[in-house]
Amino acid sequence: MSPRHLIHVLWPAFIVAGVANAVFFTIVDPIDLSLFGWPVGQNRLAAYTIGFFGFWAVAAGSSALTCFFQRSAAEINQCPLEPDARPSGCPKREDPQAHCG
Amino acid sequence: MDTRVGAAGDAAGSAADAVEQSLYEIRRKIYPRAVTGNFAAIRWALVFLTQAVFYGLAWLQWNGRQAVLFDIAARKFYIFGLVLWPQDIVYLTVLLILSAYSLFLFTAVAGRLWCGYACPQTVYTEIFLWIERKVEGDRLARMKLDRTATNARKLRLKATKHGLWIALSLWTGFTFVGYFTPIRELFGHVVALSVGPWEAFWMLFYGFATYGNAGWMREQVCKYMCPYARFQGVMFDPDTLVITYDRERGEPRGGRSKSADHKAAGLGDCVDCGICVQVCPTGIDIRNGLQYECIGCAACIDGCNQVMDKVGYPRGLIRYSTEHAVKHHEDRASILRRVLRPRVLLYTGILWIVLIAAAAMLWQRAPFKVDVIRDRVAMAADTGDGTVQNVYRLQIMNTDEAPRSFTIVASGLPDLELSTRDNPVELGGATSRMVPVRIKARPDAATHGSVEIEFRIEGRMQGAADLTPVVIVEKSRFIVP
Repeated sequence: MSPRHLIHVLWPAFIVAGVANAVFFTIVDPIDLSLFGWPVGQNRLAAYTIGFFGFWAVAAGSSALTCFFQRSAAEINQCPLEPDARPSGCPKREDPQAHCG
Repeated sequence: MDTRVGAAGDAAGSAADAVEQSLYEIRRKIYPRAVTGNFAAIRWALVFLTQAVFYGLAWLQWNGRQAVLFDIAARKFYIFGLVLWPQDIVYLTVLLILSAYSLFLFTAVAGRLWCGYACPQTVYTEIFLWIERKVEGDRLARMKLDRTATNARKLRLKATKHGLWIALSLWTGFTFVGYFTPIRELFGHVVALSVGPWEAFWMLFYGFATYGNAGWMREQVCKYMCPYARFQGVMFDPDTLVITYDRERGEPRGGRSKSADHKAAGLGDCVDCGICVQVCPTGIDIRNGLQYECIGCAACIDGCNQVMDKVGYPRGLIRYSTEHAVKHHEDRASILRRVLRPRVLLYTGILWIVLIAAAAMLWQRAPFKVDVIRDRVAMAADTGDGTVQNVYRLQIMNTDEAPRSFTIVASGLPDLELSTRDNPVELGGATSRMVPVRIKARPDAATHGSVEIEFRIEGRMQGAADLTPVVIVEKSRFIVP
């Protein structure tokens, strides 16, 4: 994954996480929440912050899958070997984009 | 990206060839040239105005507390005399609708006014550029400095610049957090180095974002990160005022001697000095037409007007104009007449309707709220004295800042008996309390198993018992086993 992919994943997720966090915690008071039966605690700022990063992670996961599924059939079928590492006699030794089948 | 530099421009333009690998694409670092003029003056006025409000408002006191405080830890928003609770989310929604429609309206009338003059990205970039200019000098000096090998002077200048940027960023981060947690206490904690970990984290986070966006990312934020920049084009129509290069008047462009009659030589008014490109914070050439990178800052208008003055041509080779006006050679008056077109009138109408509705809602807002919650543990209990008892919890929220007393009355059943620890309930300003209430009634009162009852809560300002109280009626059900 290139830095370019990383920012394509993280930035939209950041925007969505900000909105989701604001909406969620406007409706739900973190003090009323419980985690495996234990109250989340009295520190709302901590809950908002952790909540934000939670939303960010979830949204980033979704963005990452979008990126992942965007690969075309040709990209998936592409030979994993570098052209010069392909066995001698392979007709695609000269073509870096080549794929078999 | 075009960084062509013309005859009257500086020969050092090619210094901008230092190519920098950025996260999005190969980026050529832009060294915007300082510009003065009418639009730059407007932008600076807005920089001062918005920043005076941002840095100052947090310190303003009102009723003995911070005037504007989004106290997320206590889940209460204070905006001058108004206290908003999470239940008031409708006002936040209204605010978002108002902002969106204002943006639509401004964009339809004159394009990216928000981006060019008021967006924090523009405002902070302007301030950061000003610091950069004061420390490193104007465009040529900065390009020269970046070209020279690292030496003591370069290190000193860079350190000064980044030091000032970081100081301003930290202050911005502190102020930002100061809107969410009381700023005076926060300041005390900062001075005593005892800031809570979450506040400290967000101060640094926001400070880092300011430093990164205004110091390093700059036009890339507008080009690649801003959603508005991507869709603003759909709000344009042929009558939208946009920054336009008058191709007909300017072309063919070219250098010329000041004394020559350029029209006789077959030249247009554009002297191809490249100033419009040098001042552009996004590094585009406006002469290639409207581009999505153009943030509408009008720096090229100011720059070009100065050049036109110098060479003695009329101003406005680059100006605010509309597609329609350029095509049909219309004058200013006709452009202004066309501002009042259906699209603009519709946006304005909706904006006013929402604004009036919001004002009416705020005006009608009851100074307290009540939620009735049935006790879930015991649906109904036999008390042993021949009556049935139901327990309720009344969440009373005094949303106003004046202390109030609340009288609870229940009705809906014959011989109903209401008991609570204290009635009336006394509540201080902007506080809430959960009041347990027991209702007893005869079991034969309800035949259907459950019957609707009403709680009537009368709120009175303390010390004003004779005034008509504000009344809220909430319904619930009484269950007979």
